[in-house]
Amino acid sequence: MTGRSAPPAVLLAFAALLTVFLLLPTAVLLLRGLTPAFLPALASPAVLDALRVSLSTTLCTLAVTLLFGTPVAYLLARHRFPGRALLDTTLDLPVVLPPVVAGVALLLTFGRQGLLGAPLTLAGISVAFSPLAVVLAQLFTSAPFYIRAAKIGFSAIDRDIEAAALIDGATRRRAFRHVTWPLAFPFLLEGLVLAWARALGEFGATILFAGSLQGRTRTITLSIYAALESDLAPALVLSAVMVIVAFTLLLVVRLVTARRQDTDHA
Amino acid sequence: MPRTLMLAALLAGAAHAEPLTVFAAASLTDAFTELGRAFDARTGHRTTFQFAGSQTLRAQLEGGARADVIASANAAQYDPLVRAGLVEPARTFARNRLILIAPRRSARVQTLADLARPGVRLVLADRSVPVGDYARRMLSAIDASGTYGRDFSARVLRNVVSEEPNVRQVALKVQLGEADAAVVYATDLTPALKGSVRAVALPSRFNQTATYPLGAVRNAGAPNAARQFVQYVLSPDGQRILRKWGFLSPQ
Repeated sequence: MTGRSAPPAVLLAFAALLTVFLLLPTAVLLLRGLTPAFLPALASPAVLDALRVSLSTTLCTLAVTLLFGTPVAYLLARHRFPGRALLDTTLDLPVVLPPVVAGVALLLTFGRQGLLGAPLTLAGISVAFSPLAVVLAQLFTSAPFYIRAAKIGFSAIDRDIEAAALIDGATRRRAFRHVTWPLAFPFLLEGLVLAWARALGEFGATILFAGSLQGRTRTITLSIYAALESDLAPALVLSAVMVIVAFTLLLVVRLVTARRQDTDHA
Repeated sequence: MPRTLMLAALLAGAAHAEPLTVFAAASLTDAFTELGRAFDARTGHRTTFQFAGSQTLRAQLEGGARADVIASANAAQYDPLVRAGLVEPARTFARNRLILIAPRRSARVQTLADLARPGVRLVLADRSVPVGDYARRMLSAIDASGTYGRDFSARVLRNVVSEEPNVRQVALKVQLGEADAAVVYATDLTPALKGSVRAVALPSRFNQTATYPLGAVRNAGAPNAARQFVQYVLSPDGQRILRKWGFLSPQ
């Protein structure tokens, strides 16, 4: 067992340098953002609109992710079928694909002149420049993070526990609801938090596919970008908000992970 | 002997060749790309461009970005840089006019008045972008004339579906057929765009004239090349290339 002895100074030095590099800009941002002008700036229409758009679109994205991602993750974790590796790889693709490429792809598919443009227009649905486009951009880039975590969760559960529940007379559905779901829940929550963070930060696909209109499609990140070029104050306030939100989300993930490991060892 | 001379000339040329960084408004993309090639061929310098909305370029220079020359699409984004001591006073090198563009395949917008029709999807540049500012000035001028009603611009602005970060992004949305109309510069209707986009006439009394200032950045990394580039843009050769791409002469 290593790691109990005092860590070598050289490792500590590298760790310290990297930590300072990461913390310093963040601290500077918070110092510039969290001034007495923070609250008035937070209450400005541009900032409130951005927060509202980001919150509503990311919550929609999370709901869809949960609804469609959970069965897919379960399928991948529990079943062997032809094309499974292909499906697994495809679902991971957006993690490595640059978001702006995702934006082009979405535009060429769901745009008015896109592949599905004509039928969608006939159905009265106009996707580009709408909050729906923001949701699709977020879904495309963030859902894989949830599916990956959920897949690991469903794989990690001891199948014997489920088998025992089935032997005790539980139906498959009840076994899922009362055994599988609670055991997988910390993983799902971790995946959901990661997906949310990613959706909140989405920029490239959104600006290309959904455009940027205050109160409608201008999310926090787009708003920061737009504000940087005219009025710095709202940009700094929103940046500070993002730092706080990101830190809180990471903390939640850490706590969830810690709880999961406790229960694993129990 | 001639050989030695040639070598000396080459070495001298190489010694004077400088890497030059030019920040230029997005609307200058095609014209300056050609102009830069001609400039490099003549002087031996190596010019690289960064094209973006003028407000982005200004924010980057204020943030400490390294550039040798900046060309903006309006004075509003250039003059603050002069006041901050970051760039030389402006030389006006070109002018531009606005046009309305619409997808060739769509007939929804045929005239200026159509912009206010409910359901029309209009894309503008953000108000901090020069072309976005000029477009809003044009709408105010139309309001003031009363030709289409005093609330014309309010009705038009209700149809805006996106406020883009630079004029080429605005044009792209029409090219892709996602927007029914957009306000861009006359020069943005490039040969590449003409296949998919048509121009809608704007009454000249409402049209705005964009004025392009240019200057060397103070403490430029390549001050000689920067000065030469500014001179070249203003020279008959530089002006000929700008006219070829549809820009109007500075006066």
